[in-house]
Amino acid sequence: MEFAEMIRTGQAQAELLRGPEEPPLRGTLCITGHHLLLSPGPQATPDLWLLLLRNVDSIEKRVAGDSGTITLRCKDLRVLQLDIEGVEATLDIARSIEALSSLESVITSFPFFYRPKGLRLGDAWHFHPPECYYKRVARETNAWRLSEANEDFSLCPSYPRAVIVPRAVDDSAVARSARFRQGGRFPVLSYYHAPSGTVLLRAGQPLTGPQKRRCSEDEELLRAVLAGARPGARGFIVDTRSPQAAKQARMTGGGTEAKAAYPGWKRLHRPLERGRPLQESFVRLVEACGDLEQSMDRWLNRLESCRWLSHVKETLSTACLAAQSMEQEGACILVHGAEGTDSTLLITSLAQLILDPLSRTMAGFQELIEREWVQAGHPFQLRCAHSAFSHARPKHEAPTFLLFLDCVWQLGRQFPLSLEFGEGMLLALFDHAYASPFGTFLCNNEKERCLCEVRTRTHSLWSGLSQPKEQRKLRNPLYVPNPLAIWPSAEPQSLRLWQGLFLRGTRPPEPSEVAWEKVWQIVTDQEKTEGSQPTDSASEPGP
Amino acid sequence: MSLLRGLLGMELIGMWEKLFLDCQERFALLDSALILDVPLGVISRIEKMGGATSRGENSYGLDITCKDLRNLRFALKQEGHSRRDMFEILTRYAFPLAHSLPIFAFLNEEKFNVDGWTVYNPVEEYRRQGLPNHHWRITFINKCYKLCDTYPALLVVPYRASDEDLRRVATFRSRNRIPVLSWIHPENKTVIVRCSQPLVGMSGKRNKEDERYLDVIRETNRQVNKLTIYDARPNVNAVANKATGGGYESDDVYHNAELFFLDIHNIHVMRESLKKVKDIVYPNVEESHWLSSLESTHWLEHIKLVLTGAIQVADRVSSGKSSVVVHCSDGWDRTAQLTSLAMLMLDSFYRSIEGFEILVQKEWISFGHKFASRIGHGDKNHADADRSPIFLQFIDCVWQMSKQFPTAFEFNERFLITILDHLYSCRFGTFLYNCESAREKQKVTERTVSLWSLINSNKDKFKNPFYTKEINRVLYPVASMRHLELWVNYYIRWNPRIKQQQPNPVEQRYMELLALRDEYIKRLDELQLANSAKLSDPSASPSSPSQMMPHVQTHF
Repeated sequence: MEFAEMIRTGQAQAELLRGPEEPPLRGTLCITGHHLLLSPGPQATPDLWLLLLRNVDSIEKRVAGDSGTITLRCKDLRVLQLDIEGVEATLDIARSIEALSSLESVITSFPFFYRPKGLRLGDAWHFHPPECYYKRVARETNAWRLSEANEDFSLCPSYPRAVIVPRAVDDSAVARSARFRQGGRFPVLSYYHAPSGTVLLRAGQPLTGPQKRRCSEDEELLRAVLAGARPGARGFIVDTRSPQAAKQARMTGGGTEAKAAYPGWKRLHRPLERGRPLQESFVRLVEACGDLEQSMDRWLNRLESCRWLSHVKETLSTACLAAQSMEQEGACILVHGAEGTDSTLLITSLAQLILDPLSRTMAGFQELIEREWVQAGHPFQLRCAHSAFSHARPKHEAPTFLLFLDCVWQLGRQFPLSLEFGEGMLLALFDHAYASPFGTFLCNNEKERCLCEVRTRTHSLWSGLSQPKEQRKLRNPLYVPNPLAIWPSAEPQSLRLWQGLFLRGTRPPEPSEVAWEKVWQIVTDQEKTEGSQPTDSASEPGP
Repeated sequence: MSLLRGLLGMELIGMWEKLFLDCQERFALLDSALILDVPLGVISRIEKMGGATSRGENSYGLDITCKDLRNLRFALKQEGHSRRDMFEILTRYAFPLAHSLPIFAFLNEEKFNVDGWTVYNPVEEYRRQGLPNHHWRITFINKCYKLCDTYPALLVVPYRASDEDLRRVATFRSRNRIPVLSWIHPENKTVIVRCSQPLVGMSGKRNKEDERYLDVIRETNRQVNKLTIYDARPNVNAVANKATGGGYESDDVYHNAELFFLDIHNIHVMRESLKKVKDIVYPNVEESHWLSSLESTHWLEHIKLVLTGAIQVADRVSSGKSSVVVHCSDGWDRTAQLTSLAMLMLDSFYRSIEGFEILVQKEWISFGHKFASRIGHGDKNHADADRSPIFLQFIDCVWQMSKQFPTAFEFNERFLITILDHLYSCRFGTFLYNCESAREKQKVTERTVSLWSLINSNKDKFKNPFYTKEINRVLYPVASMRHLELWVNYYIRWNPRIKQQQPNPVEQRYMELLALRDEYIKRLDELQLANSAKLSDPSASPSSPSQMMPHVQTHF
């Protein structure tokens, strides 16, 4: 196999430091095509320490005397230090890690080789096909249909094979609307809010260009949306760019919906940061959190100047705006920015979490991520190529998905009972989005996934997470189904730094897990008594 | 409302309703019917705003500044001179001291089924610590408060120091506050001793008895040959205190002691810092630069310094195995913060509800933290330089600890907030007066109700469901700015936008969990009972407690 050429050394003796809390680990270090392994030797605990090479974000080597030190900064924000015997061995290992961690080919990546016990290939991939969500919508309204116009991905490579469009619009109109939208991303249904009979849609920007082009099929599609909702329904187009940026986009062929062309629809601009500035904010924040030597007198100033929490604030308040317009004003919402694959998805997915109790369950949340992020064409491969430590020049990296997870964490903090999943789930999703043995977050869209046969040749993260031993880490023991919308406060004093993620290395002495474990005990004790209840004996004294 | 009624009779109720209506009008913009329940004790200042000729809506009325970080503004109608009467009545009853009236606690006739005054018994508490022993004795030398009028009657001092020694040492310590034992380590027998600064002065005075006395304290523990002295003040302040006759223990005189300064600022700095916190949270939260504004108040930095100091004390005693003397200038503000926080870290007993009550009763109330001067109960002089939020700062530190150790404390956030509310309310006698001698003179325990009566008669409300009782665990919180946060549920609770979140979901969670746990324990008992008695009744089925708690909507 080709990996063999990149592995420059067999093995070496090394000591691994994993942070101040954990004891160092000594043993034999070796490298395989996808992993760095440390085996502590026969007398120690038999546990093998394993690191996915893809998780390495940056590597730093130093040699002194007859030994060397390699510092690995991981995509999941952990920092590891390896003290290795032998200068040559150190350099060889460093070079091998460098080469193997930056491989770009998808089909040689680890998920294509990962065959864990107890999982069958192709197991959970089909839990969430578009048909599944359509069935839910169809139970409430018949104004929408499942269109397979994109079956061969020719209309839009970043949409799934089937999407939900207004019943009144036929596939040829859909095709023409696709040509009028960036990336072919015509307006499709993202969420149907049954209590108010309104819908949430997403799209790419219209290609109005400097000539202010129009597309009657696109206009017809949005007209049909309002007609299908309820008589006299209004619509809001939430553009995630500033009015200036939207106008400027016309020069490069993009633009925004002209007011006259879309009667009943009103445009709102809610500029959200994306791309490079967002990545830089992430890098600055991680740098600040990892900077232990600097005097901490100006910590809050520094935290503020990273601007990460203001991105959280803007995102949450825009999602609230969309959700509020649907729930309280009975309006239909179309969200788009430019490509419609980043900030757009942030808003549509968060609005659903606020409004839809089902999306706050364990299964519902997974379905939401699968539908609104993976299948909706968020380019995970490009966005998560590097994390906060990489020295490589950023190209398409942006922590959009992390920003989503952070917003969900804030929701969970403000409504500690209402999410069925806990912080552990959000941390797992962050880790797996950047480096994972599972195939769920591979590639940039459904078309690529299809070409690489991801769904037949790799395991789904959802199967991995459904293993019983994972459940305690992922679930929120306090969960109580809450049928109402949960309106978060996006006031700055209500938002917190996500310590569980950003301060992973420097945690308080009693991490929240201890408290959670206690809660689990209370909850499972209670279930146990219920379970062990003999059916023929009384739990309460008779009246 | 109940307090108003109790205190003022029907006369003000009539007007209060008018006032209530007016304020409802004024707050109607915030789309919530406002219910105000303001104990008069919380009022720090009442001002008239606008005059008979003022124009414009809400320009005429009363502005009430409260001690708990809020202001109330009542807009009134100009006609009828209603304001004058209201101003006078409010002033009269909010500041009874200026009108030779009793403080409300002396009129309060509430009854509780437990008596909070019995919670703290110094002899029992010292016995719990294993005192007296052959190094430490209990002395009644201060029985009539003759040795030191701001100390309690009962003190624990080295066995080898005679009463005469104590009297001589008292002459060399500010306000006679001699070094006495606060806490003794159950295993290594190192101690925390508290006192005030030595009266060294500009000329560098010495006192042989004081030097000998500290050496005697050192000798009670032979594991380390140095005694550690923590001076809570910044070095420069300690030096400056020499000018007014104070000072610190210099190491060329106290050979067997090491002195460290803890850099905690004085009461005036803390008061100004809290004022800045109020400015950024009330009436509006400073939104655009929230974090840097918060940082510029320095409040969290002061919290950090107090916690850091207490951690050092605790660590010295527990790991360093050295006895520790703590003092500041007079030994009733920063010293109380440091000893009580260190004791909370070292001794899990103080982390239970009653233990914490005893800690407050002992280190703060009996050792003469000047509650009356710091809070100004019933006093109209709102600008008094003696006011300072030292006790609030202590409770904030406790809250920070409880955040970092969610399973270590028996009490919850509501417990801490309730204590702070009644720090000002004047409903209970607990925090009245500056010291034990004054309290005794006023027969506070006979004539007023204790705050602990209220709390201990309804303990469930104040319990933390995550609490796991642990003996001998020392807590070292992280006092880094990254791990400290502003106590939003206290400092910003009056902000109308935050208020929407009541009832606080966390509190709901607490209640549910407690219910769940109790349910579990009950069911377990019943199961055991049922199994042993082999009862059988097929009709009954287990029912789980109703868990549905709709969340209150919050505005954004």
